[in-house]
Amino acid sequence: MDEPHSPLIIPGTWNFEYRYFAGDAATRFFAEIRDNRRIMGTRNPVSGQVMVPARGFSDADYVAATEWVETGPEGVLEVFSIIGTKFPGLPDPPFTLGYVTLDGADTAVLNYITGVDLTDIDAAAEILLKRPRVRAIFKEQREGRITDFHFEVIET
Amino acid sequence: MSGPIGVIGVGQTMYRRQHSDKNTAELVREAVLAALADADLDFDAVDAIVGSVAPDALAGIANIDLASIARPGKPYFRVNTGGASGSSAFLAGLTWIAAKRAKVVLVVAVERMGHAVTAQQIFNSIFDPIYEKDISMSTISMVALRATMLMQNYGFTLDHWAGLAARNAAASLNNDTIERPRAFTAEQVKASGILAWPIHRLEACPTSEGACAVVLADASLVGSRKPAWVLGARGLSDTYAMGDRFHRPEGSLVKLITLERSAKRAYQDAGITDPARELDLIEIQAPFASSEVMAYMALGLCEEEDCVGFTERAIAGTAGLSIQPSGGPQVVNPVSATALIRIAEAALQVRGRAGARQVDGVRRTLSTGQGGATQFSTAVVLGADRP
Repeated sequence: MDEPHSPLIIPGTWNFEYRYFAGDAATRFFAEIRDNRRIMGTRNPVSGQVMVPARGFSDADYVAATEWVETGPEGVLEVFSIIGTKFPGLPDPPFTLGYVTLDGADTAVLNYITGVDLTDIDAAAEILLKRPRVRAIFKEQREGRITDFHFEVIET
Repeated sequence: MSGPIGVIGVGQTMYRRQHSDKNTAELVREAVLAALADADLDFDAVDAIVGSVAPDALAGIANIDLASIARPGKPYFRVNTGGASGSSAFLAGLTWIAAKRAKVVLVVAVERMGHAVTAQQIFNSIFDPIYEKDISMSTISMVALRATMLMQNYGFTLDHWAGLAARNAAASLNNDTIERPRAFTAEQVKASGILAWPIHRLEACPTSEGACAVVLADASLVGSRKPAWVLGARGLSDTYAMGDRFHRPEGSLVKLITLERSAKRAYQDAGITDPARELDLIEIQAPFASSEVMAYMALGLCEEEDCVGFTERAIAGTAGLSIQPSGGPQVVNPVSATALIRIAEAALQVRGRAGARQVDGVRRTLSTGQGGATQFSTAVVLGADRP
């Protein structure tokens, strides 16, 4: 009888490069951030709700949203998580991300959250659980990406 | 639905971190042959196959199902609704029989995430590349966001998440499909380090591989076999955008509207009016404790005001029905297969074939599926009595 073989494992990678076409609404949304430091939303004509980040149509009603409305730059941190562990391919911990409803908006936008000391994660979480107000902070060098800004806690 | 449809066969591989000794087709074949043996049918009797695979990048092979699940000479299609793929595939199989295009359908799900060296980086790619992916979201942080909202809105604490994790781990000791069942206490969960606050390491489902196959049959072919009858099966989609679910009138991000509505319709189909009393057992697709709590409310097992109390009774085992007797997805979560495993586990319980995890007197069960940032939900009611 032949000797049993140990299972063969063949290495592989799947590193493709892409260009994501942002579309009409996101192109203008990011141009306003890049050129004017403004976070604009679009209004759903059926419900009257303002969507941030901007969408060209409402997913719920499937109608075009063509009216642009300035929102923020302040808002409320709705929910958050503080990442405490390193995952390969993702940023070094600790960092915080969360959904923010900007003043004048009816949907929430995801971004990084700063302004709370993360030395003690449980203590930081206690502060963030209170849904603090936050303000958008824009980068000096903006390129038309969601990372052109983040939110800073302004009131704890 | 036309005539009654029964689950007459269930086959599962072991679920483990990686099956490095088998390629995907070999893994699938093991589950399929077990399901056909359980159903006492040859492959010739299978009229159609529905495959369930979620993100391709976890396996690193585009369309891994084409070589591993599709079979020459059989109609085949694949379903992908993220974590709900397995139960969505089950619903698709039912539809083929109800439409009289098949009498026997084989539903097959396989997860091959052991191939992936950076699973959470791959999960980051399920998020919108324009607005969200750059914020390093992963499936763990996605769940953590909901957990913080449950703490804000209802007063849940870290003890509840740890308590549910410990209870599910204890249940898994009876589950012989799990290679390495884990047992730990709530205190150990809370001491295990923060993955993404409020989620500790031991609360998170581990990387898991395996295959699950289920044989569905039209009543005319059930014969003398012991089936688990399909009493109700429904599914719904929600919006992809999580940020759109905070302020809408029908409910916030932590209210699983699609699960609530799917369950309500499945209960109607099954003639269930008081699920907490009429269901004997539930298998919830909840890879984290907070996912389980959201389902309790959506499934009508408790009022919103009592969700903390119900959770505490669930941890204590006094909730009045059997919850996650398999240990559930917190213990093993082979993503593409998890929702089908919930149905398979319920079918085994109804048919009295659940081995050491068998619960006495199971007549009616509910299994849920949940996928794509709670975008997709399914609810399936199985029962012992022919409808």
